Amino acid sequence: MKHILINEWKGFLRNRVFMILLFIFIFSLFLTTYLGIVQNNKQIQAQKEAQEHISEQWDKMDHGNPHQSAHFGSYAFKPTSVLNSIDEGINSITGNVLRLEGHRQNDVMFSEASQSLLISKFGKMKPSLLFQFIIPLFLIFLSFNSYTQERDTGRLKLLLIQGASLKKIIFSKIISIWLIGLVLLLFATCIQLIFNLHQLNIDTLFRLILLLISYSLYYLILINLTILLSVIFKSSTGALSLTVVIWVMWVVFLPKIIGNTVEKIVPLPTRVEFQDEMDKDRAQGIDGHNPSDNRRQELEQATLIKYGVNSLSELPVNFRGILMQADEEYGNDVWDKHFGTLYSQLQTQKNIYQFSGIINPFASLQSLSMGTAGTDMFHHLYFLSQAEEYRRDLIKKLNNKWRDGNWDKSFFNSIEDFHYNVPSFLMFIGKYLLDIVLLSLWSVILIFLVKYLSKKTVIL
Amino acid sequence: MIQLNKVYKTFNNHKALNNLCLDVKSGEIYGLLGANGAGKSTTLNLILGFLKPDTGSIDLIDASNTSIATDMIGYIPENVNLYPYLSGVENLDYFCKLSGFKYSKNELSKFLIECGLQDDAHHKSVAEYSKGMRQKVGIAIAYAKKAKVYLLDEPASGLDPLSSNELSELLKKLADTGSAILMASHDLFRVRETCNKIGILKNGNLIKEMDADQVTPEELEGVYLNFMKN
Repeated sequence: MKHILINEWKGFLRNRVFMILLFIFIFSLFLTTYLGIVQNNKQIQAQKEAQEHISEQWDKMDHGNPHQSAHFGSYAFKPTSVLNSIDEGINSITGNVLRLEGHRQNDVMFSEASQSLLISKFGKMKPSLLFQFIIPLFLIFLSFNSYTQERDTGRLKLLLIQGASLKKIIFSKIISIWLIGLVLLLFATCIQLIFNLHQLNIDTLFRLILLLISYSLYYLILINLTILLSVIFKSSTGALSLTVVIWVMWVVFLPKIIGNTVEKIVPLPTRVEFQDEMDKDRAQGIDGHNPSDNRRQELEQATLIKYGVNSLSELPVNFRGILMQADEEYGNDVWDKHFGTLYSQLQTQKNIYQFSGIINPFASLQSLSMGTAGTDMFHHLYFLSQAEEYRRDLIKKLNNKWRDGNWDKSFFNSIEDFHYNVPSFLMFIGKYLLDIVLLSLWSVILIFLVKYLSKKTVIL
Repeated sequence: MIQLNKVYKTFNNHKALNNLCLDVKSGEIYGLLGANGAGKSTTLNLILGFLKPDTGSIDLIDASNTSIATDMIGYIPENVNLYPYLSGVENLDYFCKLSGFKYSKNELSKFLIECGLQDDAHHKSVAEYSKGMRQKVGIAIAYAKKAKVYLLDEPASGLDPLSSNELSELLKKLADTGSAILMASHDLFRVRETCNKIGILKNGNLIKEMDADQVTPEELEGVYLNFMKN
């Protein structure tokens, strides 16, 4: 096997076209990875500066009362992960800045897709684009005639007569082409490691390793499938055509078809419907700014009883602070109800979509690629819930201070900025187990099929 | 050395070989003549182990009556397609390593020279080789692994007269070392020149066997054409 492998690599290295293509790929990978890192670092720096600016603005501003500050609010920045430079996932669509204020929960703003030119909405040149679309095609083209060439030239008989088994010949070819994919993956990984050395931690390393394993498995599946089809079919063009058709199904049609089906199974409300429903429920709550509101009057009564006084002016605390917090808590309940349902619908959609990996390993790969890069929906929802938690805490602090009175600049300055705790990958690994299992299953089944076929194939 | 006993082989109800009995002894070159579809390649594929006979047996036994493993067979196809990105020596080295033989560069060159490939061609890319040169490397591959049985499929096809003659001489030299050689061909003249024994195969039947030195080329042509027409 070792000799066949070495010979295959000699063939690659002495092939001028292959070497030119390999150089192009390595150069493209270097460029996309490096530019991705530069862009990432710029984004991290821009976020840092924006955060500092907001912090400074908060510290220097004349706050008036805490409720005014609640209206002024703050911002939560979704930090760009180091691996965002490999796969930006849904980040370019979802945006990365969230305005946090009293009375309302806002949507994330400033998605790149909403700000960039139309052309870049089709996807930026990230290594994931090369890993998922270009390199697989390259590997398919290297694989499709790797076996048939030996068979059609009669060299296969010579190899067998010399004592090499068909199984060894086929697997050597699979491994030799797979190694090319691995070299390209490792190259991009090394670039990441070199240029991000100062930002690396165990969690990122672990993510990077899983990213490598995922792509390696996917390449193994593709190469196995291509060679399997070339063993089955007499014509190498037939095998190539079928492989390309399957690949296009995997990367273009099935994701759309399955995506649409999932949306039909678990439909999401439209933005307008969702907002209408939210507004309807919200309107039934306390209107903190409307003195004739029934609920407000109920709260007034309850507060007067609690403090044992007859009028609001006798209260030792500011009733407006209590009122605003009550309004806030009602709003939180409404938000929890609606967004809770929406999040669980999104999670159900994602879970169902993950099962499509049974027929489409590309779906599992994409899920793992975005997941390990920390740019998928799970990570986005995690950011949103942390930001919301911070918002609630911030508004509560301000409302309570308004209730109790006696605030000064030091109180406002003591309020901490939003810090996003990036979830450790171990927290999330469970959500990707299905993808890992399905990719591994695809690999094992195809290896088994190739092994079986190599025993059954008649050489003539 | 090569013994085929009552071998039958059919493909989709078509009889490719019908009760074929063949015996190629050590030191003998056997020429199997026949038209396209006569069963020559099927015979070779059966001996090589790529096909299994429906009935009958195929035995490869050496002088001491022990079985010869299939990896002791040297096979030279009509077109020896070597790896074009390797030189003659590299090709030989690669195929030898597959059979478990590891030779030095000098030894490899010696094998190529013994098989008639000029010294200056050894390190040239095989892509620059003529068909005859590739065939010499093919024979060297079998020779280097110390093959006891050589199977050649249309070895002289497409060779110029000089290369064809060189091939004959080389095969005779190999037979002199005790190897058994079975050569399937259309080329009556070359078979007559090279082989000790000749068999004519028609529709899977071995219809005639003769010693090569008992017939002149003209007689052989007459016999062959007579059988083919009837």
